[in-house]
Amino acid sequence: MSTLTKVLIVLLTISSIFLCGIVVTYVSNAENYRQMYNTLKTDKNAAVENEKNAKKQRQEAIDAANALEQKLNDQINALKIQVGQLGTQLAEAKRKADEAVAQENIWRDINTKFLSTNEDLRKLLEDKLAELKSVDARRIQGDKELNETTATLIQKMAIIDSLEKQSKLLLEEKTDLQNQLGTHLQKTGQTVATPVTVTPLKETARVAIPAVDIGLNGLITTVDMENSLAEISIGGANGVKQNMKFHVTRADKFICDIVILDVEPENAIGTLELMDVTKEQPKPGDNVSTNL
Amino acid sequence: MSPNGQARGKNITIPDNVYTIILALAFCAVLATAAYVAYQCNQQYGTIFKIPT
Repeated sequence: MSTLTKVLIVLLTISSIFLCGIVVTYVSNAENYRQMYNTLKTDKNAAVENEKNAKKQRQEAIDAANALEQKLNDQINALKIQVGQLGTQLAEAKRKADEAVAQENIWRDINTKFLSTNEDLRKLLEDKLAELKSVDARRIQGDKELNETTATLIQKMAIIDSLEKQSKLLLEEKTDLQNQLGTHLQKTGQTVATPVTVTPLKETARVAIPAVDIGLNGLITTVDMENSLAEISIGGANGVKQNMKFHVTRADKFICDIVILDVEPENAIGTLELMDVTKEQPKPGDNVSTNL
Repeated sequence: MSPNGQARGKNITIPDNVYTIILALAFCAVLATAAYVAYQCNQQYGTIFKIPT
């Protein structure tokens, strides 16, 4: 074997070992692109998944925002409607307030007029009370005069009664004397002449006031049978006048008549006439009327 | 390779088999390197000769 061959063998071997070392070193230090690719692919898939999730979350957020917006819009519309209603109610309340103020002014005017009217009525009442006092004073005085007149009347009635009794006695004595004179003269064939009074009696007829159309009605309040007097519950204020005749009735029965002697504003006093002693007597509570 | 050379010059001579062995070592190194590169290519790219897509 030649030297050159040996040298070439050695050089070839050295260069081969050197190059093999370089190749091994390079391959050992070379980056694993497949692993990097897989890593990047995984990262890409993760990024895509994250993007999907983010889009999904974004869509959900958009949906939630839309729902919230819709809800808020509904609330805004409801509040607008409520604001409109409240505005209407406010206008109505203002109108009612204006009406109330106008009504208050009206009532204030009415109250003022009422107070003035009340003051006038109070003055009028005071005047009427003063007049009433004066009328009461006059009535008391009239009552006194009436009592005095009634007492005088009773006294006169008593005198008349006694005179009637004396008259009856005289008439009875007269009748007896006429009878005795008649029997005595019959024996002698003479008759009794008709007696002639010295002063002929004149019956004074009391003409009752016709009261056909008056139509007064009342009640008997007091009866004095001894003096044939009665008091009725109506007087001059009701149209009763002196000498007016009233018919006394009880239910459907006629009792007697009353001819008015004295008239007072609230009552009247009269004498009892056409009274039948054997029948019922008038008593307080019986009806009196001008017309039967 | 000849025993005459060693006797005549008394220089250090290397037998020819040594060069054969050296050449075999070089071949083995290249072969091991090729195998290692092939293994790495198959390991990383899944193929030896084609370009991965």
